[in-house]
Amino acid sequence: MLANPRKPNKLWYLYLALGAGALIYPLVANAYWLDVANFFGIYVLLGLSLNIIVGYVGLFNLGHAAFYAVGAYTTAILSTRFHVPVLLLLPVSAILAAFVGYVVSRPILHLRGDYLCIVTIGFGEIVRITLNNDPFGLTGGPNGIMGIARPELFGFRVYQPLHYYFLIWFLVLLTIFALKRLENSRIGRAWNYIREDELAAAAMGIDVNRLKLLAFMLGAGLAGVAGNIYASKMTVIAPESFSFWESVVMFCIVVLGGPGSIPGIMVGALGMFVLPELFRGFVKARMLVFGLAMILMMIFRPAGLWPAQRYREAVREEEDKRLPADQELKTTSGGLKG
Amino acid sequence: MMKKLLTIGLVLVLALLVASCGQSQQQAPKAEETIKIGVQGPISGDWALEGQGFVNAVTLLAEQVNAKGGLLGKKIEIIQGDDKGDPKEASLVAQKMVSSKVIAVLGAYNSSATEPASGIYNEAKILHITPSSTATKLTEKGYKLFFRTCFLDDRQGLFAADFITGTLGKKKVALIHDNTTYAKGLADWTKKYLEEKGATVVFNDAITPKEKDFTSTLTKVKSLDPEVIYFTGYFSEGGLLVRQARELGIKAIFMAGDANNNPDFVKNAGVQAAKGAIITTLPMPKDLPYNEAKQFIADYKAKYGKDPESIWTLTEADAFRLVVEAIEKTKSTDPVKLAEYLHTQLKDFPGITGPINYDEKGDRKGAGHTAYVIDEKGEFVLYKK
Amino acid sequence: MQQFFQQLVNGLTIGSIYALVALGYTMVYGILKMINFAHGELFMIGSFLAFTLIVSVGLMNIIPSPMVGLLIVFLFVACLVAILGVLLERTAYRPLRRSTRLAPLVSALGASIFLQNAIMLIYGGGYLVFPENLVPNINWNIGGVNIGLMRVLILFLSLSLMAALYLLVQKTRLGAAMRACSLDHDTARLMGINVDRIIALVFIIGPALGAIAGIMVGLYYRQINFTMGWAYGLRAFTAAILGGIGNIPGAMVGGLLLGVFETIGAGYVSAAWKDAISFLILILILILRPTGLLGERVAEKV
Repeated sequence: MLANPRKPNKLWYLYLALGAGALIYPLVANAYWLDVANFFGIYVLLGLSLNIIVGYVGLFNLGHAAFYAVGAYTTAILSTRFHVPVLLLLPVSAILAAFVGYVVSRPILHLRGDYLCIVTIGFGEIVRITLNNDPFGLTGGPNGIMGIARPELFGFRVYQPLHYYFLIWFLVLLTIFALKRLENSRIGRAWNYIREDELAAAAMGIDVNRLKLLAFMLGAGLAGVAGNIYASKMTVIAPESFSFWESVVMFCIVVLGGPGSIPGIMVGALGMFVLPELFRGFVKARMLVFGLAMILMMIFRPAGLWPAQRYREAVREEEDKRLPADQELKTTSGGLKG
Repeated sequence: MMKKLLTIGLVLVLALLVASCGQSQQQAPKAEETIKIGVQGPISGDWALEGQGFVNAVTLLAEQVNAKGGLLGKKIEIIQGDDKGDPKEASLVAQKMVSSKVIAVLGAYNSSATEPASGIYNEAKILHITPSSTATKLTEKGYKLFFRTCFLDDRQGLFAADFITGTLGKKKVALIHDNTTYAKGLADWTKKYLEEKGATVVFNDAITPKEKDFTSTLTKVKSLDPEVIYFTGYFSEGGLLVRQARELGIKAIFMAGDANNNPDFVKNAGVQAAKGAIITTLPMPKDLPYNEAKQFIADYKAKYGKDPESIWTLTEADAFRLVVEAIEKTKSTDPVKLAEYLHTQLKDFPGITGPINYDEKGDRKGAGHTAYVIDEKGEFVLYKK
Repeated sequence: MQQFFQQLVNGLTIGSIYALVALGYTMVYGILKMINFAHGELFMIGSFLAFTLIVSVGLMNIIPSPMVGLLIVFLFVACLVAILGVLLERTAYRPLRRSTRLAPLVSALGASIFLQNAIMLIYGGGYLVFPENLVPNINWNIGGVNIGLMRVLILFLSLSLMAALYLLVQKTRLGAAMRACSLDHDTARLMGINVDRIIALVFIIGPALGAIAGIMVGLYYRQINFTMGWAYGLRAFTAAILGGIGNIPGAMVGGLLLGVFETIGAGYVSAAWKDAISFLILILILILRPTGLLGERVAEKV
């Protein structure tokens, strides 16, 4: 079940090529394509954050935009009202989002898969409605908050697409590095255990609830970071940026790309965000094509475009073990009881 | 397997690189041959109708100009940008407009999409006219190239308050909005002016747009027994509201804001229920002395087989006509010169929605709101006491 | 008090539509353990097809009796949407039956986006308005509470359809087969039940009921648009979960309750907050009863 130590070597070439591509990219891209890369980066961050919850631990979460919103609004409110520097708000947004993640997930962790799904949808909607209703005049209602400051570092003001390109992708790299370490740590392995078999995990002495909580907090916190970047990048935020649809996009990034797989998340974000951007020429029909692509993708690559290694190996073992006679029966029950 | 994925990854990166290179290079020489004007709006998504109205209006007018030989000897080319009403998409559309070298962008429907776009256009020195974003903050940033062809919400709020307390002589008002930027703004301004004029607002709450059943809200309104109900949202909900109000036996005068100035308001409500409803709005094209308005509506009907989608289709058309006017008068396509012309020299431009003049902030001066009442045939007629 | 009863009537009208749509979610979930996110779109398509029949085809002018005309609309559209439902299952869900639980969810979301945009491209992005007076506009006033004829019809039709479905599932052999499938596909197959056929049946009944709900929305509110499937679908799904997903009486109770929560929330607190209130109540109920109001306590097999 553990990652094969020989495999990552091959990946290094890819990472190297991607790194080189990422450095050359700003030289050839215009402002529009740089900004596409920027939003792509934000979606990678969001995908990675949701991946902790959905991919590593296997908990349904269709309300992730709420944590993203908490991060963005924390930054927006503190920046416009108290003029706190935006970069300083990065950890603040993360901590607050993580705290909200804790408060929300604590009472609902014992719920079964699909119930968790609707509860997270509900939570996402509650947050969006709250933002829209402007409680205590804090969130600006449907207008949202305008005039959010730009990040400043040693007197250097980050405001052009090119600046953001480096800021965002630096954060993405940092996150990937940290998550890679986490994946192979005790915690990461425990998470996977919970996903594969919660009862067995509990029986082996893993504190299931604590680890689930941790996943929610980390995922929410990272979404908070993405919210901070988004708020300062846009300088204006409004509730419709944090709608149910946004949660759906994040969820699809994880599932389309390959739950639990970091390169998968990048491919998923590419599919969910950059492809519709390329379809912009179709204007009216692009979402139609997009919906069709989602169905086809799931039919032909149900484990995601770039499945996690553990996942792939587990599937292969399963297939090897299965006798031909078994297979007929498996077709009807496979996956139904999760 | 690994190799295959590796190749896929590399191909994707290359594709992005090539796409971005191609994008930046192929546009440059073409820019000289046509005058490019961008239309930005929610062409898909919840407000698809409004965005498509933008595109329809501008396409129609551009065809007319091109049929007459274009501007300064060049054809007009329309670049569409679908922002779905989403701020993030709006900023991407804006970047895309900038790299396709448009001289002016007409649009962004909602204020929260216009905001991030306006910063980008300002930096790129592109003329930016919004037909429908009414948030006051938009013109407070000192952008020299930003204009709007709509009026700010407060003018209509003032008119509505005057009308309710003065013309109708009522004192007890229920306000219903739908929590969108525009409707909430209008409701808040109306409330402010109503209270200044000594009327009481007994109810001020939002319904959820896109819903069909508002009986719960109306039942509550009924129990508060207002003399006037003023709804500041859109016709699709407005029509349902007035019908459901009458079904519940509410006798109060039903008033609605300018987004209800649409034949579908009556269709949604049914003539029986809509009868007597009062709409505060800019004068309707048919009641305007301007030939431009009648002409535009007739052309629009001839080309698309229906009336313009909403008042914003008309303001978008005005935005386009302003750009054409500025180019013709200045003999230039330099956005800075065009903006200067609009700020300083434009006087009583005969717009479809009335004369257009600009103040130094880029807000439209004056306001010509009036009230319509729906008669027993379901027609909008000017209100007479 | 009079206001309270009026809100109750309002809530039951909305709720019975939710309940009808919720049945589609709950049945699919019961058999396949998946959430058919595209179900709301089938509901929406039902109302658009009815619009085509009534307005574009002009069916009501061809058929002299409005009662018969409407009956034809209901039956014909329900059949069409049922076919669409079966097609949807064949193309988007069946190939995924063996895969993870996440994959069908995304496929369903994709189907939902596809159908919604297909309708937008065919019918345009605007609102369509049904003609007036297809159903006579009669209102009764009982002790200050207003009740319209159409509301009574909606409630009556919904409840009788639900009762019929309940009887089908509980009292017939077919129903027994459905229940068997919902418990265990393999065992059901061993008992000689054609599981694929049962699944197809579920994708006939659910969408047909959804379509009927869609037509009623078209007839009563008279205004339809291509995004309404999403809004009603989410509410109906909430209702199904509230009652205990997989449970047919649960969907009815959940739907009616959700409708009443909404109107009470809007009537006594604030309309702007009503959805937040409904979701809050849902979350509270799920915290106290993790499988919904009528859901059975099943030991989770992981």
